[in-house]
Amino acid sequence: MKQYDVIIAGGGVIGAACAYFLSRDTNLKIALVDLKKPGNASRASAGGLWAIGESVGLGCGVIFFKTLSKLQSEGDTEAAETLRPHQLPECFFELALKSNELYPALHEEMLARHDVDFKFERTGLKFIMYNRDDEIYADSIVSGIPNLSSQIRWLDQQQLREEEPYITPDAIGAIDFICDHQVNPYRLVDAYTEGARQNGVELFLNTEVLDVLREGNKVIGVRTQDQSLHCETLINAAGAWADDIYHQATGKHMPVYPVKGQIVLSERMPKVLNGCISTSDCYIAQKDNGEILIGSSTEEKGFDTTNSLDKITELSQGAMKCLPILKESSIKRCWAGLRPGTPDELPILGPVDGVEGYINACGHFRTGILMSAITGTLITELMTGKPTSVDLAPFRVERFE
Amino acid sequence: MPSCQKEKIVIVGAGPAGVSCAAELAKYGITSTLVDEAPKIGGVIYRGPLRQASKLPHLDENLKRAMAALKVRYEHHKQDITLQLQTKVLGPEGESGLLLQTENQLTQIDYTKLVLATGCHERSVPFEGWQLPGVMLMGGMQLQLKSGLVRPGKKVALVGTGPLLPLVACQLHKSGAQVVGVYEASRFSELAKETVALLNKPKLTLSGLSMLAYLKKHNIPFKYGYGIVKAEGQEKLSSVTVAPYDEHWHADLSKAQHLAVDSLGVGYGFVARTQLAMLLGVSHQYTTTNGYVPLLDDNLRSSLNSIFVCGDTNGLLGAEAAIIEGKMAATMLAYEQACLSESTFHTRMRKLKTKRKQTQKFRAGFDRFSALREGLLALTQADTVVCRCEQVKRQQLDLALQQGAKDLSSVKMRTRIGMGDCQGKMCSSYALDRLHAAGHLGTLGVIRPRFPLDPIPFTLLEKNHEAV
Repeated sequence: MKQYDVIIAGGGVIGAACAYFLSRDTNLKIALVDLKKPGNASRASAGGLWAIGESVGLGCGVIFFKTLSKLQSEGDTEAAETLRPHQLPECFFELALKSNELYPALHEEMLARHDVDFKFERTGLKFIMYNRDDEIYADSIVSGIPNLSSQIRWLDQQQLREEEPYITPDAIGAIDFICDHQVNPYRLVDAYTEGARQNGVELFLNTEVLDVLREGNKVIGVRTQDQSLHCETLINAAGAWADDIYHQATGKHMPVYPVKGQIVLSERMPKVLNGCISTSDCYIAQKDNGEILIGSSTEEKGFDTTNSLDKITELSQGAMKCLPILKESSIKRCWAGLRPGTPDELPILGPVDGVEGYINACGHFRTGILMSAITGTLITELMTGKPTSVDLAPFRVERFE
Repeated sequence: MPSCQKEKIVIVGAGPAGVSCAAELAKYGITSTLVDEAPKIGGVIYRGPLRQASKLPHLDENLKRAMAALKVRYEHHKQDITLQLQTKVLGPEGESGLLLQTENQLTQIDYTKLVLATGCHERSVPFEGWQLPGVMLMGGMQLQLKSGLVRPGKKVALVGTGPLLPLVACQLHKSGAQVVGVYEASRFSELAKETVALLNKPKLTLSGLSMLAYLKKHNIPFKYGYGIVKAEGQEKLSSVTVAPYDEHWHADLSKAQHLAVDSLGVGYGFVARTQLAMLLGVSHQYTTTNGYVPLLDDNLRSSLNSIFVCGDTNGLLGAEAAIIEGKMAATMLAYEQACLSESTFHTRMRKLKTKRKQTQKFRAGFDRFSALREGLLALTQADTVVCRCEQVKRQQLDLALQQGAKDLSSVKMRTRIGMGDCQGKMCSSYALDRLHAAGHLGTLGVIRPRFPLDPIPFTLLEKNHEAV
C-alpha cells in the first residue's frame, strides 16, 4: 500500500500548481492523480493573465456579463438601461493581483531550474471602444477602481492606431490595463507538472480517482482503477468535477458546476496584435505561435463539450469587427472547455469544518490560469502551518451554508 | 408504388462503399443523400481523371472496368440518390445534423441514419530526408498517374510493403518512367508462408504474379527484404539510400546502396480515416495494423445506433470489400425499415458476408506479411521532423517520452504533435508507434479530432446564416 503526505486529485493547472509549489517548498511526499476528461478547462483555456480585466468583468467575463444581463433583462424590461461594469469584490482583486505578480519570477525560475517555458508575454489588455456607450462603460470601470489608476492607460484613436494598427479604424480609443499579460495555458500546466516531477512528485496520469477513502470524518486516501493510495491530506483540484470528490469526502455537496465556453482559433498569422484585446463582444489574443484565439461563450449545458455554429458565428463576427484582417484567415480549430463555476464567481479554497485531511482548491471559474500561482502558494502555506498571504475566510466553502 | 422508407439517410463518401450503399438502397426504393468533397464520384481509387483524358494506357483493364462499373451502378439508380459533390463535411451540428461547406457557403443537413464511408489515408513514415520535394507517398503517386496528366518523375524508386508496390511499379513503367528498383521491406520467405491465405483470392494473387513477371521482363529489380535508409538532395531529391532489412526491418548499413533518382514513392500502407466518426462520438479501438478503427457489430453498426461505418474507414480490406460492405449497410437499413422480409434479409446478408470473408482471409495474409516492424522507427535522426505541420523534431518527442508522457494527448500538449492543420493524420501514426514501442499500450489515447475537420474561412461567417 502506497502512503503519501499529500495526494492531489486533479492535474489541471490548479492541481499541477499545488504539486509544484508544495514540492518546491516542502519535503512532503506527494502524489498527483489525474485523468483528462473531455472539456478539462486548463487545456481549453485562452491563457490570459488578466488580473484587472477579469476583476472588472472584461476578457472572458464580457460574455458572462452579457449573458447575465440578458437573462435579467428578459424578466424585466426596465433593466435594459446602460450596462454597468460587473465588478468583483475586493478580496478577488487582491487574490488576482497577488497571483499576477508571481508570474515574471516564476517564469524565470522554471526556465532556469526545470528547462520549461510557459511563454509568459507582457501584453497588457486593451478594452476597445467603438462608440460613446463603450466610453461610458470604460469610464465607469476606471472610476470603480481608483486605487489602480497607475495600471491604466487611456489611448485615443491616434494612439490606438499607432499601437495596434490592425484594429479597425472605426475604433475610437481604448483603455489598457498594463499589468495584464498572457501565457500559453497548456505549457503552464505542463511546466508545473514537469517541475513537480523533477522535484520528486509521483505522477499518476491517465488515472481516475474512483473513490475517496474515509475513516469517520477523516479522509485517508483514494482508490484508483489500479490501487488504493493513502494520504494524510487530500487536495481537491478536480475542476468542474470537484463536487464529486467533495461529496465523497464530506457527504455534502458544494456549488461547483460546469460552465461551458466555446473557443475559436485562427490559422497562424504574422504578428498582428501587440497586446491582448477585449471588446464588448469577445476577447482576442494572438498566441506565441501566431494563432489568434477568440473566446468565449458562456453556457450552462452540463458536461456537454460540443461546438455549435451559432456561438462560433457570434464570436467570429465580434472578432472580425475588431480585427478585419481575420477575413483573410480561416478557422483552424474550435473547442469547448468547462469552467468550474461558482455562484459568486470566487474560488473555493481551504479546509472544511468537521472534516480532517481534506482541502479544497477548486471553483476557479474563468481565472484558473491566473489564480494558479497564488493557489499553489496558499495551499503550501496551509500545509506548513504558516499564516496565509491572503485571508482565506471569504473563499471557504462554508460561505455557501 | 408507395415507398417503405421511414429514415432520412445521409452517406458521407462517394467511393466504392458509399456509392454501392446508395445504389443498393435505391434497389429497395429507398432514397439517400450522398456527400463527397471531390468533383466526381468513385473515391480516390475509382475517381479517374478530373478532366477527360484521351488515353490512359498505363492503367490496367481491371481498374478501368471497376471504375466503369461503379459509374454504371450510380447512373442506374441516380433518380433515388441526391448527390452533393464538392461538399466538405466540417463536423456534427446539433443532435443529428452535419455542417457542410460548399464552395462559398455553409449549410446543414439532418439525418436519422448516417453511413460513414470516408475511406482511408496513407500512413506516413518519417525518415531522414522524407520532406524533400520528390519524396511522395505511393498513393499520391498513383493519383498523379490516374489523372493521366502528370508523371511523378523520370527516375523513380519505390520503397514500402504490400501489393501496391508491384502495381505502382508497373503503372509507372507503362507511363514511361524509369523504375530504378522496387524494395519490399518483408522477406520473400514470409510471403511464401501466406500462400494459403493468398489463395482465397486466386485472381488477385495471379494478377500480382503477372505484375512481378512484367517487372522481371523489363529488368526492373524487385527486392524482398530491402528498404529505405534515407533520402538526400539539395532543394529536391537527387538520391536515396536503400539497404537490406532484417526480420525486424533494421537496416544493414554495411550493405547500403545509393541510387540516383528524382522521385521516390513510399508506401507503408494506409490508416483508416476516422476523424469524422471520432468527432461524432463513435467508440473506437486500437489495432496494430490499422490504427484506430470504429467498434462495429456484425452488421457494421457503430456504438451509436444511428451510425454505420463501411469500407476502409473500419479496417482496410480494399475497394472490393468496400462495395460489399456498402451493400451490407444498405441491406441492414432496408431491413430495419421493413423494406425487405426477414428471410430475404438473412439470405442476402449471409451471401455478402461469405464474399467478404474471402477478402478478409486474403487481406489477413498481407497484413501479417506487411505488419510494420520496429526497425522503421529507427530511420529518423534526432533532428528529423516527425510532425510536418508544426515542424516538431524527433528529439522533442524523445524528451516528452523520457519525461513520462504515456499517452498521445500528453505528447500533443508537450510537443504540438497533432496540433497542426492535418489534425494528426500525418504524425499520429508515428507518435502512436513510439508510445507503443515504449510499452504504453494501455494508455495510448487518441488525438481527438476537433471541429472543424477542414478550416472554415472567416468570411463564410460574416453574414447571418439563414440556413442554420
